[in-house]
Amino acid sequence: MSSLPPVPSLSFSLFTPPTTRFGPRLGTIRFKRPEGAEIQIQTPGFLTSASRGVVPHLSRDHYAESSIRWVNLPFESFLDVPPPVPTLVPGKNPLHSFLGYSLGQHVVSMSARDPADGREMPANGNTHVSTYSLRGVRKITPADWRSYVLSCKPDIVFALSDIPFTNPPYSQKRLTKSIERSASWLANILSPPTHTSTYALSEGEYKPNILIHMAGAASVPARRAFASSLVEKLLGPEADAIKPLETLDQGVFGYTFDLVPIRLSLEAAEKQHQDPFYSPVESLPQTPPSAADANSNSNSTSTPSSEVNLDPVIPAHTDQLTPLLHASLEPLPVEKMRLVNTVQTPHEVLRLISTVGIDIFDAHWAQRAADIGVALDFTFPAPSSSSSSSISSTATKTRDNGKHDIGHNLYSDSYTHDFSSFSATPCECRACTPIAPSTRIYHGIDDPSYSNEEPAASSVREKPSFTRAYIHHLLHTHEMSAHSLLVMHNLGVLDTFFASIRRIIQRDMEAQIKGSEVEGGEWEEEVRRFEEYYDESLVVFEEARVMWRDVDLARGRGRLKREKKRQEEGTLGTAVEL
Amino acid sequence: MQFEVIARCPTTKARVSRMTLAHGVTMLPTFMPVATQAAIKGLTPEQVESLGVTLILNNTYHLNLRPGLKVLNEVGGAHKFQGWERNLLTDSGGFQLVSLSKFTTITEEGALFASPFTGEPTMLTVRLVVDAPPSTLIAPEPKPEESISIQHAIGADIIMQLDDVVSSLTTGPRVGEAMERSVRWLDRCIAYHEKSGKKERQNLFAIVQGGLDPGLRDRCLDAMIERRDNVAGYAIGGLSGGEEKDTFWRVIKQCADKLPDDSELSVDEYITDCYSNNLQGRDIQWESDSQKIYLSAWPLELIWYGPALLVFIEATDSYLNHIPKADCVFPTRTARFGVALTHGGPLNLKLNKHARDFNPIDVNCPCPTCSGKTSRAILHHTITQETSAAHAITLHNITFQAQVMGRARAAIVAGTFPDYLRTFFAEYFGGAGYPEWCVNALRSVGVDLLEGKDIKMIPGSGAKWEYSDTS
Ligand SMILES: [Zn+2]
Ligand SMILES: [Zn+2]
Repeated sequence: MSSLPPVPSLSFSLFTPPTTRFGPRLGTIRFKRPEGAEIQIQTPGFLTSASRGVVPHLSRDHYAESSIRWVNLPFESFLDVPPPVPTLVPGKNPLHSFLGYSLGQHVVSMSARDPADGREMPANGNTHVSTYSLRGVRKITPADWRSYVLSCKPDIVFALSDIPFTNPPYSQKRLTKSIERSASWLANILSPPTHTSTYALSEGEYKPNILIHMAGAASVPARRAFASSLVEKLLGPEADAIKPLETLDQGVFGYTFDLVPIRLSLEAAEKQHQDPFYSPVESLPQTPPSAADANSNSNSTSTPSSEVNLDPVIPAHTDQLTPLLHASLEPLPVEKMRLVNTVQTPHEVLRLISTVGIDIFDAHWAQRAADIGVALDFTFPAPSSSSSSSISSTATKTRDNGKHDIGHNLYSDSYTHDFSSFSATPCECRACTPIAPSTRIYHGIDDPSYSNEEPAASSVREKPSFTRAYIHHLLHTHEMSAHSLLVMHNLGVLDTFFASIRRIIQRDMEAQIKGSEVEGGEWEEEVRRFEEYYDESLVVFEEARVMWRDVDLARGRGRLKREKKRQEEGTLGTAVEL
Repeated sequence: MQFEVIARCPTTKARVSRMTLAHGVTMLPTFMPVATQAAIKGLTPEQVESLGVTLILNNTYHLNLRPGLKVLNEVGGAHKFQGWERNLLTDSGGFQLVSLSKFTTITEEGALFASPFTGEPTMLTVRLVVDAPPSTLIAPEPKPEESISIQHAIGADIIMQLDDVVSSLTTGPRVGEAMERSVRWLDRCIAYHEKSGKKERQNLFAIVQGGLDPGLRDRCLDAMIERRDNVAGYAIGGLSGGEEKDTFWRVIKQCADKLPDDSELSVDEYITDCYSNNLQGRDIQWESDSQKIYLSAWPLELIWYGPALLVFIEATDSYLNHIPKADCVFPTRTARFGVALTHGGPLNLKLNKHARDFNPIDVNCPCPTCSGKTSRAILHHTITQETSAAHAITLHNITFQAQVMGRARAAIVAGTFPDYLRTFFAEYFGGAGYPEWCVNALRSVGVDLLEGKDIKMIPGSGAKWEYSDTS
């Protein structure tokens, strides 16, 4: 018998026992596969969002070279045609093999819904969640979810939750239902395999690592009630169902917060407060097309307008989030992992680390920036006002409020002649540090014995970085390579950002141990400076979005008919025309 | 440029050669992917190079519009601009004269252009006329000198003379006039190139014109062969305007037979009939492309455009009717519509029959997509939705084309080229029948595709296309 564990093991450990329930913390997620590969993710850190199972704009060969360690797959996109195709993939690691993620490098998680999708949806039921697929709304029951999970064997899974996307703000009755359903659906996936199950075989080997979304929308009491229910010792049949666990929480690896539905609730409540006649429905993004619409549209999957609505700007309500997140976490053990989806700005990341102690954030906002032509360029700590980078010609724009952009809108004509690399500071990504290929494919009579060329050097040779001017050109000529390079870069910037965050937190911790810490610590000071230095309203994103649309429209207007037709033929990804 | 023939097929006279340019060696015949706007759709230059591609094409017309000469001069040329370290070829932009011909008037001094855009400068003019109302002639210009000057700024290893292109369906005195003018313009291009100081790194090619008229072609060939000491190679232009395929290949053969086949001359030829470009409203490039495979049977170095594949792969009318007519850039464009090329024929990955197929496109393919075991099912799931599906298929299609070329070179070196042609057709078309014109073209160089086989011939373009779920 091998000493290796028979199943993958996942652990989360904090660097030092936290002294407070909420506040910056350092940790490590370790994922060890039976085959021996161990993946480590330092926290605070990030996860990359997939779309239809793939990281938008990246080729598989880029996965290995980019800063991706954890990929989350919204599963709903596989529901167009039952049964979902990943459930049919043979082997021990179906998602990795089907989607091209590396067992040694990537942790793959699975959620029913795309956390970034805030569109209004048909109501969930007692035994189903309404999800969105290209061919219309699809229902997922807890039993479905359990079976998908057991077939696909993701490394981590988000338990099915009842998050309403109907018309916020929600009544207490609706929230109570949400809490009860979410808890009971969690119990469903925690319950051990039954031998009558068709999945009995695979269940013997695979046990999901579960994250639970903290239900309760924008209500402090509801959130507290849900969290408390997780740590309650279950009794009777409920207890039997999850044996040998005594509480739901014992079966949970970590806690997650999807911010989109919380923000929608907060926004609706605020509007209602301001205007008693306010109709919440109008504030919601567009309803997804019905199945019929989607079908008639199957070759041209989306119009620009539906894409725009897929990506609404929802007011952040950041300050109101903290008490809500606290309410959820207060009843729960402090040492479990905490994850936030759909954060909007690096400022918000810093604040949620400061005030809550979040460990993992999704990268959706940075990936989305790549769609609209924004190359991120910010550092943490922010440049000191006297430092050269804040006044250099390659620095980001300064706004009227005196704050600096967190990136470059490369659609802007000011980059036409800008041959600097994307960010003012060095970046290790493959856009800023391309590596000359060390191997190539030979096809016949072209190897060195015929060409007399030296074979490629086996040593790593760095090429000059791609330039802002080049990406500007690619964006205006609708070349998809622009987005591939921007995704690599933006993920690279995030990686550096989180590494810096950890470094500062660590310095404070060490200072604390030595007793040499300064008042408030370096962390608090740097967060304050960052907020002061960088523009959080993301004017640069807004400008990019507008120019992205203009370029798209100009293309439709200025081109020949054939070009227009081509434009209608279909778009790829969230924003990028094929 | 150094050019050496290293092997020759005794039957067809097809040859394998080594072409050394400022950015390395390209073995010929080769396949040349099209990077119209200085990018191969969705890929990085590093990816393209790792596929074994040693030569790509940029379009002069497009790069002159964007990013423009100022940018190219500032950055030091198109190689640096796009991060491409291997060989690069540019066209003259002349083809756009044809594609935009309803806006264009040709004069001895160049062409008058109307901008297809509103308020944009047109090609081959460095002068910017911003205030011109739409659809008026906004810029008198392109001199042959100017085309070369733009190509110097781009810095391609192989550059093209400006030629006066008329549609191959044009008849009457205009055809002869265009041919004569192309010869005169060649002289002006040569003179400009000679004194530019760029001759060491950039190689000027002549373009043979003369339409479908064998007499005019012959006169043009004579005139251009006279100038052989001043050009690095020849291109064959003025075709693929919708002429019969049998006419097309006969013109090519005429040119190929007559052009110098002498390695001492360091002459290279390539087919430039298909300036497949974005701004044309026609599909002519497809038809011409579909001829190219056969051309390799002649003593020509073919640098195939992306769309060339199609031929092999044979694009065909039914295919063209199935998807919108488009700029071609064949392997990359078809990729975006989910078409993967294989030695057994094209696969349309959008078809439902691929939805649950966990096999790669081609198990034997060395491309990153297939060797990384990307399944047909995931491509089906993501195609037309995610750019990465197009990237994956583009990686494969470019590799496939390079493989077709590499195997052709290997067969020529091994002395088995006729067998290779027969095998390729058998695998690719199978029992569906061979296009008649292909059979005719290859018979003219001594290869009988039908030898010992009972295969029907398909008149016309000979479509083979997987375009419905019922196929
Ligand atoms: Zn970078
Ligand atoms: Zn392949």
